Amino acid sequence: MIKKIHLPDLGEGIESAEVSEVVVGPGDTVTAEDTILVLESDKASMEIPAEVNGTVTDVSVSSGDEVKTGQLLIKIEISDSTETVKEEPVLSEEEKQIVKPPEEKTQDVTLYPITKDTASTDNVFASPGVRRLARELGINLQIIKGTGPKKRITKDDLNGYIKLQMAISAGPIPATQPVIDFSQWGDVEAKKLTKIKQTAGDRLQQAWQLIPHVTQFDAADITDLDALRKEMKKTGAEKGIKVTFLPFMMKALSIILKEMPEFNSSLSHTKQNLILKNYYHLGVAVDTPSGLTVPVVRDVDKKSVFELSAELMDMSARARNKKLKPDELKGGTFTISSLGGIGGTGFSPIVNPPEVAIMGISRSAWKQVYDKESSEFLAKFIMPFSLSYDHRVIDGAAAAAFTSRFADILSDLDHFKD
Amino acid sequence: MEKSRQTEFVVIGAGPGGYAAAFRAADLGKKVLLIDRDPELGGVCLNRGCIPSKALLHISKVMDESTNLEKMGVKYGRPDIDINKMRDHKNTIVSQLNKGITKMANARKVEVVQGLASFVSNTELKIKTEAGNVSVTFGQCIIAGGSTSALIPDVPTEHPSIITSRIALDLEDIPERLLVIGGGFIGLEIGQVYATLGAKVSVVEYLPNLLPGTDSDLVKPLQRKLKKQFEFIKVSSKVTKVEPNKDGTITVTIKNEKGLNIEVFDKVLVSVGRKPNTGLLNIEATDVKVNKNGFIQTDEYQRTSVNNIFAIGDIIGHPMLAHKATHEGKVAAEVASGHPAAFDVRAIPSVVYTDPEVAWAGLTETNAKENKIPYEKGEFPWSASGKAVAMGINQGKTKILFDPETKRVLGVGIVGPGAGDMISEGVLAIEMGADAEDIGLTVHPHPTLSETVGLASEVFTGTITDLYLQKR
Repeated sequence: MIKKIHLPDLGEGIESAEVSEVVVGPGDTVTAEDTILVLESDKASMEIPAEVNGTVTDVSVSSGDEVKTGQLLIKIEISDSTETVKEEPVLSEEEKQIVKPPEEKTQDVTLYPITKDTASTDNVFASPGVRRLARELGINLQIIKGTGPKKRITKDDLNGYIKLQMAISAGPIPATQPVIDFSQWGDVEAKKLTKIKQTAGDRLQQAWQLIPHVTQFDAADITDLDALRKEMKKTGAEKGIKVTFLPFMMKALSIILKEMPEFNSSLSHTKQNLILKNYYHLGVAVDTPSGLTVPVVRDVDKKSVFELSAELMDMSARARNKKLKPDELKGGTFTISSLGGIGGTGFSPIVNPPEVAIMGISRSAWKQVYDKESSEFLAKFIMPFSLSYDHRVIDGAAAAAFTSRFADILSDLDHFKD
Repeated sequence: MEKSRQTEFVVIGAGPGGYAAAFRAADLGKKVLLIDRDPELGGVCLNRGCIPSKALLHISKVMDESTNLEKMGVKYGRPDIDINKMRDHKNTIVSQLNKGITKMANARKVEVVQGLASFVSNTELKIKTEAGNVSVTFGQCIIAGGSTSALIPDVPTEHPSIITSRIALDLEDIPERLLVIGGGFIGLEIGQVYATLGAKVSVVEYLPNLLPGTDSDLVKPLQRKLKKQFEFIKVSSKVTKVEPNKDGTITVTIKNEKGLNIEVFDKVLVSVGRKPNTGLLNIEATDVKVNKNGFIQTDEYQRTSVNNIFAIGDIIGHPMLAHKATHEGKVAAEVASGHPAAFDVRAIPSVVYTDPEVAWAGLTETNAKENKIPYEKGEFPWSASGKAVAMGINQGKTKILFDPETKRVLGVGIVGPGAGDMISEGVLAIEMGADAEDIGLTVHPHPTLSETVGLASEVFTGTITDLYLQKR
């Protein structure tokens, strides 16, 4: 019995991936848990398991190949024949063509396209012809606004929707990047951008073009917080947990996001509603050797500084080793990007859509601050930070209130004691 | 000697669903092999069901109408019935349509094989033909195996006087006394034909109503008419014993709350529903899932639990209707050919072709009450229809059920001559999401029976002028 391993659906938005490593070759014996391939997708890297015990008979891909969802990767002769493997039918161009009876006895016989269930449910006001067209185009009628009599969805509405989507997805304005031969001025070399970098680049450009950005700058006095952190760092070290400033910032953000829910929101697709989220999942920008990635820490409001520290350690380690799961990169409500450990006095981060705001932390420094009460200059540890926001959703006054409140919270240590 | 061959695409069953599937697949570029155990194409519907029964019902209806003309001043003599000629007429109609399908199959280069197909595996079939067994390896398969009349346990099946719809439609003779077991649409249609031809027809139904499940207000006009035409109708009654006698007659014991009733009949028609032909296919050789009632399980793409095998029509479940099978057949052929189709309909019309006809589509009041679905209703009695009165039709009704909020049509029910043709407007209304106003504001021709659909909507919207309704 031959088991064909296809590239599984890697989740929303990920349609293809690059093979970064082929671990096995024909003749190799594998067990179900063994990794056979390592892929680098748009957002993360992942390992593909063998799924069955057996011997590899055929490897259809090699390192560097671009593979699509459903594509055949590897064939394995199953050694344990009592194990029955039900396979989800998958679609690929190559297999659509297979109509002749299979020559070898395989478990997946003939494959044919599966249309995602995008068409109607009973309450959609659309005629049978429109419902069929929606199915063909893969449009979910639930999200279409009908413009016909009594808001009936017409074929024109579907065409309009497609046009709109095309306009949006056309995204980056084709930059006029002239072909320049740089070698005419000296020695050059070409370094391939990683997949993560290319994807991040596209997303950043889209965000920059789509969102009217404004950045608010502010600074917080973290003298007391610094003392508390040092204290907690010691306790943490005993448990093997490294306590940085970041979990304190995250904790403070979860408090203020509850107070000012529009910062924890997204615009609805019609741009007529603001979707306020009653969960607080913070994206944390992590710099990795292959590029910028943003894993999401869930339910920050329910976690202590120590718990957050432990989770951050784990996530950033896995981000650097490309071991993050695609799910861990989804569902964020607000992003924080810290360059505090590196340097700088301020920067304007780009909002991570569909979120509406992002915080940037810069390097803290000791400053002389004039204290009016004592008429003295005091030494204070000051942390500069910035807030970039989507001006369609958030007003300047709200943003200024947000940053002041953020500074206030950081000075009240009660918030951080577990 | 067993022959073996390979084929890209095979359809089992050439009924209305099977041939639609085969032809659609051929039109989409598939090389199709169509298998049927009958020499004639068209399945039960064309050979032993819808079409022959309609040919006979037409005759009985015209006969009945001509009798009614007496009241209008035209009197014919007693009809002179030549049952052989009638049978020939019916057979001519069937064979004309058979030939039509064969021609269409040839034109599409669909290869037809006569034989009984049974599965060997998920990719292999065996066809038992007159010329011996043929083994077929296929790429994709659509099962359109249909259904057969269900039988009652303990009732002898081999006796010449105990018949199913198939034999009844062959019109062997006109029995003096005919008992119909089962008051569903098949029993009532055939019973009415035989009654008009002179047989004393009786019906026994186990459930409390004729046409079980149908709204009682739609059944009533039919029931009144049948009471006049039939010898007796017993509902909530059970046939407990069926005993053949030496002279060929059948003694039947009927039990209900009033007690036992023993009657002798010349023939007994068993019409207690139909069962899927899953048992003929050796489906166990595949991984196709079958439910406990023997129906093959499919999804909205008509796919079974096996990737390359689809199923459609009676063999996948109720309602067992040709037009349902046809639409499913096309969906299966399209999905198998890689098109993004699905069986996505909002209503499947049901028609009882008795006189008067009963037809409904979408939500019924029975269903709404059972499932607590809120609805409002517009109803137009045919006694207020000029056309119906002119035709001498005094009973009939058109009703439409609306969504209380959106006022869209949820269901339509009609009883009266031509109801089966008129229901299409209701089905279209449901599919298009039309509301009461849409139908009421659509100009319907006057005088027609079809205008009662518009008028029922106007009763609902309160704009009716052909009736006087108390202000609500």
